[in-house]
Amino acid sequence: MVGHGMTGMLGEDGIHVDMNHLKKGEVNLGTSIMAINFKDGVILGADSRTTTGAYIANRVTDKLTQVHDTIWCCRSGSAADTQAVADIVSYHLNMYSITNNEAPSTQVAAALFQELCYENKDMLSAGIIIAGYDPRHGGQVYSIPLGGSLHKQPYSIGGSGSTYIYGYCDANWKENMTEEEGIQFVRSSLQEAIKWDGSSGGVIRMVVLTAKGAQRHLYLPDTGYTGPGLTN
Amino acid sequence: MTSIGTGYDLSNSVFSPDGRNFQVEYAVKAVENGGTAVGIRCKDGVVLAVEKIISSKLLKPGANKRIATVDRHIGIVSAGLIPDGRHFVSRARDEASSWRNVYKGPIPVSALSNRLGSYVQAYTLYSSVRPFGVSAIIGGWDSEAELAVDGQVGNGPNAGSGGKVEGAKAGGPGLYMIEPSGLYWGYYGAATGKGRQAAKAELEKLDLSAGNLSLLDGVKEAARIIYVAHEDSKDKDFELEMTWISTLDGPTHGRHEAVPRELLEEAERAAKAALEGDDEEDDATKGDAVDSERMQE
Amino acid sequence: MAGFDFSNYNRNAALHAKGVPLPKATSTGTTIVGCIYDNGVVIAADTRATSGPIVADKNCEKLHYIAPKIWCAGAGTAADTEFTTALISSNVELHSLSTGRPPRVITCMTMLKQHLFRYQGHIGAYLVVAGVDPTGVGLFTVHAHGSTDKLPYVTMGSGSLAAMSVFESMWKPQLNRDEAVALCAEAIKAGIFNDLGSGSNVDVCVIQKDKPTELLRNYIKPNERGQKERNYRFPRGTTAYLNQKIISKEDMRKYVSVEEASGDPNLMEVDI
Repeated sequence: MVGHGMTGMLGEDGIHVDMNHLKKGEVNLGTSIMAINFKDGVILGADSRTTTGAYIANRVTDKLTQVHDTIWCCRSGSAADTQAVADIVSYHLNMYSITNNEAPSTQVAAALFQELCYENKDMLSAGIIIAGYDPRHGGQVYSIPLGGSLHKQPYSIGGSGSTYIYGYCDANWKENMTEEEGIQFVRSSLQEAIKWDGSSGGVIRMVVLTAKGAQRHLYLPDTGYTGPGLTN
Repeated sequence: MTSIGTGYDLSNSVFSPDGRNFQVEYAVKAVENGGTAVGIRCKDGVVLAVEKIISSKLLKPGANKRIATVDRHIGIVSAGLIPDGRHFVSRARDEASSWRNVYKGPIPVSALSNRLGSYVQAYTLYSSVRPFGVSAIIGGWDSEAELAVDGQVGNGPNAGSGGKVEGAKAGGPGLYMIEPSGLYWGYYGAATGKGRQAAKAELEKLDLSAGNLSLLDGVKEAARIIYVAHEDSKDKDFELEMTWISTLDGPTHGRHEAVPRELLEEAERAAKAALEGDDEEDDATKGDAVDSERMQE
Repeated sequence: MAGFDFSNYNRNAALHAKGVPLPKATSTGTTIVGCIYDNGVVIAADTRATSGPIVADKNCEKLHYIAPKIWCAGAGTAADTEFTTALISSNVELHSLSTGRPPRVITCMTMLKQHLFRYQGHIGAYLVVAGVDPTGVGLFTVHAHGSTDKLPYVTMGSGSLAAMSVFESMWKPQLNRDEAVALCAEAIKAGIFNDLGSGSNVDVCVIQKDKPTELLRNYIKPNERGQKERNYRFPRGTTAYLNQKIISKEDMRKYVSVEEASGDPNLMEVDI
């Protein structure tokens, strides 16, 4: 298990230290995640690799987590932290829908995630993308990076693998894509991220959120991430 | 009352053998002595109005407001014990701000009413407290626009959010009344306080459930109803206080504000005219119509 | 200044960069595995407990009872796995009593993860949670920091790499009971033989849908100590003596009281 690196983490000045690393032995989602807006809603996508240091602790992880009927999130960073945060938000959204007799909007979910991530920023390493669909607002994508700020975006990419695909996504992004185009965009972006990022890999999972509800997709490396596609 | 002296009226948390809580009923009596308060839910806004009995000539006119703003889009008016009303409003402000802290957006009127209903109800349970001596009318406008999360950066795609179901109605006016028991209902028109019977009779004539009454007409009607309700205690002087909340593209832009002085005075003139011309019905209604036309220019 | 003080962190990193080694971490070697099959779930563990380089216990128990049909295999700090599983077992039983229903594996897993997350990894319990409940078969891993995974076959501990290599090469869908037990035992053996931190015997626990749970303690003993070819026992009369004096019990009773022990003279003998 890798904890403190062999060469230390000192910067060139010998003082500044990279403190943004995980505790020893902590399970990490060295990850490629993304979510996009498209014509009829949103699509979330993620690879499936979970690592502890150099060891792949889970090669078929599900990093797309449901927090309400049509509000989902992509998790990156510490597995323990992001699971705990998603569990807490899921509880609050459940309570919200009971006490207010209506499903929470994506904004409510984003606000809850942001509050937890910002107020506990010292204790968390969590990079979360929230994507949701509701009939009134349509599909929406919010990103909460490490410091706990909240960004509403046309599409969002995250995790260690995302650094490799900023250019790719920027060059290929179009607003108002069809579902087919959107799936293709997410699939090929993640395929590229997996190719270049050692901490990303395994299968590509996707969730399509529209007026029809949530639909899961799966793409396997055996077939060059071309199928099987829709799984429910 | 036959039950007085039986001991069942001495404490909260004690039922009488026939299932009544006398402390709550006494609180209702306190409300029934308060100045009349009304709320009207119009198609494009909500009006709150209250009859302030002038208890001393030394009170500064226009000061000592009785209708409070709880959040930007919600106002509360109450009838009964004024300090109880102030405490109630304070709690409402805490609830509204707590909602904003958690959900980073404005509290819906229904949710606020629900929380306040629970709060008032709790004061009927314990022997260490007494029930609220107020009935409160909560009026507000839930934004029909899509709101950003407080503190968010960015706006999402230029094309807007995909898959939206267009034309679905969202937001709108909200009007609730909470009684000392904690009971609350949503209303088209609500009235409480001394002149509530007369006020309710007038409200019922308006056919509010049809949803045709405009906010401007609502202001006129609210003023008139307060004047009508005051008829029974004519000997006392009173002052009319009115606030309103409109749609986002209306005069208050979704905010709870005092009705502007000119409009208030105009509404009062129309109210007085309507009362004086009770036997000359035609003139009065004609006057009303002219007034509302003038305002819409 | 508000917030956490990281000054020691900088000091440690500076020391580390200068070549001062980190304090030696205590090895917590173990191999534990789990595997679901058509009608239930199997978990297995080795039986070696270590403290530093010393084998502290050659035949310890790493399979912990949670409920009749939920069991845990534990790796990490022995005391932490022991007490954490005992605590959750207790709470699971109370919960089951209060709901009047058999406990669920996911409930147990959630209680464990919330407990471990609260202690931010300081409770060093790495667990495989397995069982059957009215919703079906459950198999999870729970890491000390509070993260969980749900998989058809799992391994944990220092021997997890060896054990996983067995699963990755031999696992197939739709195993039956005996195949699953054999596969888990094989995975543990891979840990026992290839991981320094794991050793001794294989414990197996089989949890089936409509049968009582079987705990197969020391299911395989691949490290049985062989019979020594020679021993240090010397025959009577090896040592020569010059004289002998026999004191009878009756003589001794004059001075002390003598109690008869149970008849077996072997009881007093000491093994070599």
